[in-house]
Amino acid sequence: MVANVAGKGIRGLLRAAARAGVGAGRHAGGMAMLAGRIASVTLRGHVSVREVLRQIYFTGVESIPLVGVTSALCGLVTSQQGGYQFTGQVPLYVLGSVVASSVVLELGPVMTAFVLVGRVGARTTAELGTMKVTEQIDALYSLGRDPVSVLAAPRLIAGMISTPLLVGLANLVGLFAGLVASQHTLGLGPESFLYGARLYWHDWDLLYSLVKGLAFGVAIPLISCHMGFQTRGGAAGVGEATTSSVVLMIMAVLTLDALFPPLFLN
Amino acid sequence: MIEYRDIHKAFDTPVLSGIDLRVETGECVSIVGPSGTGKSVLLKTTNGLLRPDRGDVLIDGESVYHSSRRTVERIRRKIGYVFQYAALFDSMTVWENLCQGLPDHEPGRPPTREELRLICEALEAVNLDPQRIINELPGELSGGMRKRVGLARAIVGRPEILLYDEPVTGLDPVNAAVVSLLITDIRERLHVTSVIVTHDIEGALLISDRVALLEHGKLRFVGTPDAFRASQDPVVRAFADRSAASAVALAMMEEQ
Repeated sequence: MVANVAGKGIRGLLRAAARAGVGAGRHAGGMAMLAGRIASVTLRGHVSVREVLRQIYFTGVESIPLVGVTSALCGLVTSQQGGYQFTGQVPLYVLGSVVASSVVLELGPVMTAFVLVGRVGARTTAELGTMKVTEQIDALYSLGRDPVSVLAAPRLIAGMISTPLLVGLANLVGLFAGLVASQHTLGLGPESFLYGARLYWHDWDLLYSLVKGLAFGVAIPLISCHMGFQTRGGAAGVGEATTSSVVLMIMAVLTLDALFPPLFLN
Repeated sequence: MIEYRDIHKAFDTPVLSGIDLRVETGECVSIVGPSGTGKSVLLKTTNGLLRPDRGDVLIDGESVYHSSRRTVERIRRKIGYVFQYAALFDSMTVWENLCQGLPDHEPGRPPTREELRLICEALEAVNLDPQRIINELPGELSGGMRKRVGLARAIVGRPEILLYDEPVTGLDPVNAAVVSLLITDIRERLHVTSVIVTHDIEGALLISDRVALLEHGKLRFVGTPDAFRASQDPVVRAFADRSAASAVALAMMEEQ
């Protein structure tokens, strides 16, 4: 009896795992095809420059305040917590190095990506999903326009341009916030902070940070557009697609983030 | 000319099972039938919005499913599609929506003088005042006006074929009559081939050259409105005679 129940439970788990695997494979395949089609329409010059600029404004320019606040808070918290741990243990100028490395290598790119997941990715999936369930995507096809070239390609190109720039900005703001916070709360002067920051600095770190931003700038629009195009079933379907999209984007950001150190830092 | 050849389509269950239908150039054919029999699915196979599992659609002798991408794009430009709920781009104004129907228009660019003239002509053709509504968003329009803007968007690119998916569904009788008249008017003015999917059997019999009755994924009847009215087939009769008894009889037949 117990063995029978356990057997059923294991079979159920295996079936669920297989379903999840098939689902993940289908999404991965769909995204690869979408990426291929975006590359194709871009190389053939079938993407409106105006639309790309509009998307850069929305993705990049309009995200500046939120990215600024988020990265300032990250720099501030890192500086505070580092100060708390280092006071009396190690020279405080090391704090500059800790803040610089934390912000540039990790917090700047990842927090910017999370801001974009919430601000841009979720909206893109909801927008394209609504267009899908109200036949607006079909309408584009019927008018001889390719939704990939009109909707997806400008968003991906805008993401690739805007995200590294936003990451660069986040790094600057985060460092500056860390510097100001360490001066006001720990009494660490800017010279000492910058001395510490330079001490363990590698020029490659900045490039690493921007490349990470580029990878996130590809993943977020690609996933959000794919999930939008796959939406089915009215308002509930749009909600479901948006939730799944946000989960997928967060997982993709964290997975890429985990892949970067072994690939580029070792 | 549109030629549907042995169209099969299934989702979970078969929806279309071997549809053969030929619509001659300039002809107006209405496809009627109970809900869920695949009328809209058949219409969507015409311009590739839904790919059939088997079979092909030919537009003026060219295959929609076995031609090069360039040919398919050219075929699509020949076809205007009027959606059931208009499917207007809700973040765009009326003129921006109509711009999407102009093949050479780059998204985001303001229309040229010539494009603006075409947009105004299309709106006037569907009895809308361009001055009044051109800058409105779809959400600010009534249901009847949205349908007419959808029709204007479909004709602004001067198509040779017009496909209508439930053009009068959700409209009050007055607006439904207006849209039916517009379909006839546009057909005469632009000499387009028209395929109409509708539940409005009276309207279909008035404006169509032929009527096709789709039932359980197959064509049960194809013929002129007069032949449709004179048919003794009980399913056709149930549609031709819209009495409550016929509707009940049809529902019972469907259950069997």
